[in-house]
Amino acid sequence: MRDSRERPVCHRAEDLVTYLYGEGSEADALDFGSHLEQCDACRIEFSVFNQVHDSIQVWRTEALGVSLNPVEVANQTAADSRQFVRQRRLSAMAALRQFFNVSPIWLRGATAFAALLLCVLGIVMVARISRKPVTIAKVTDEKTYTQKELEAAVNQAVDRTREELTANRNAAGSSNIPKQEPRPPVNHTQVATSPRKAPRQHSLNREERAQLAADLRLTLPVDEDEILLALPEQDIPHQ
Amino acid sequence: MDTVTNDEQMVERALSGDPEAFGEIVRRWERRIFALAYGMLGREEDARDATQETFLAAFRNLRGFRGDAKVSSWLHRIAVNQCITRQRRAKVRGETALEDEAEKNAAVFALPVDVSPARSAEAIERSQAVRKAVLALPQDLRQVVVMKEFEELTFQQIAEALEIPLSTVKSRLYTALRQLQMRLQKFGDGEAA
Repeated sequence: MRDSRERPVCHRAEDLVTYLYGEGSEADALDFGSHLEQCDACRIEFSVFNQVHDSIQVWRTEALGVSLNPVEVANQTAADSRQFVRQRRLSAMAALRQFFNVSPIWLRGATAFAALLLCVLGIVMVARISRKPVTIAKVTDEKTYTQKELEAAVNQAVDRTREELTANRNAAGSSNIPKQEPRPPVNHTQVATSPRKAPRQHSLNREERAQLAADLRLTLPVDEDEILLALPEQDIPHQ
Repeated sequence: MDTVTNDEQMVERALSGDPEAFGEIVRRWERRIFALAYGMLGREEDARDATQETFLAAFRNLRGFRGDAKVSSWLHRIAVNQCITRQRRAKVRGETALEDEAEKNAAVFALPVDVSPARSAEAIERSQAVRKAVLALPQDLRQVVVMKEFEELTFQQIAEALEIPLSTVKSRLYTALRQLQMRLQKFGDGEAA
């Protein structure tokens, strides 16, 4: 390197530095480039400064081992920033975890219980929704009867039928048939259901009553406890 | 610097109590501040300490940050002051000769293995000469040359960080390069002799 003390100094020293680091505009660079061709002092200094710059760069690379190029650093910074934003977006779970860490034990327990309750309710709701719809009892216009009403209706029907039969027999041959003694009153607790068995004067059993009811188009009682039968509208006795 | 969240917004977040915001500023600037400190102090250990102290001081003085200035300029000013303070302390304690030896040994280990011993010795000598030449510069010149050569800051950024006119940056850089050339020439002459 040439001794700087011996070198002439140009008045465009600042322009030289600007040109050396490439910071001027294109016009500045062209202008100083043409000056450099004519000025020995600037040309020599430019060459010497370039060597110094290279030496420092070697030292820097050895020492730091990484580039600090502004473009690379800017890209890295932008990437870091994006990463930071992503971390912030994902930190909701971390915040929840932090909340649990700092909250007292009773609060943690209450939160856990509430979560469990919510889960159970959810399961119940899902089960109810997914179950097949239950057939609801069909409501008809037919009237329903209790045990007593049924028996009364049956007895009434039996009496009516018996009277009709008697009337028919009387009409067919009233002279040949001896006059019968008046029939004792019907015991309604012992229901006589069949008109054919009526002359035998004994009370009907349960099966016979059921048969009679079927004959009279009455619905059979399924269970003794819930006897809800239907009768045709015209057969309903008004009590 | 245009980023998704710029440095000034990060400082605002840090001031409003966001604990991650200042960490993000540190992540963004630690490499550059370390490079500056290394160029100013010449030793890795000192540079690490100075970098740490820079961010610590920045965090303590976060409320003193003026919104009209750039965070980068503010951090650089703090870093330069930290380096100057550290050097003064080192001068008082007289820490030089032993450190130079340790740094030389560190440089030997840092070299690639395929370099010949003669070449590696020359490279080490050269690096040591540059380092000594830079460290021997006056503070004001050294700041400028380190910011330019180590951090590759623009003249404008250096002017903002050091709060000096643009023309002063250029003239200081010119003077610094001349002085460095003189010192390195001495090293070359000594080597030739």
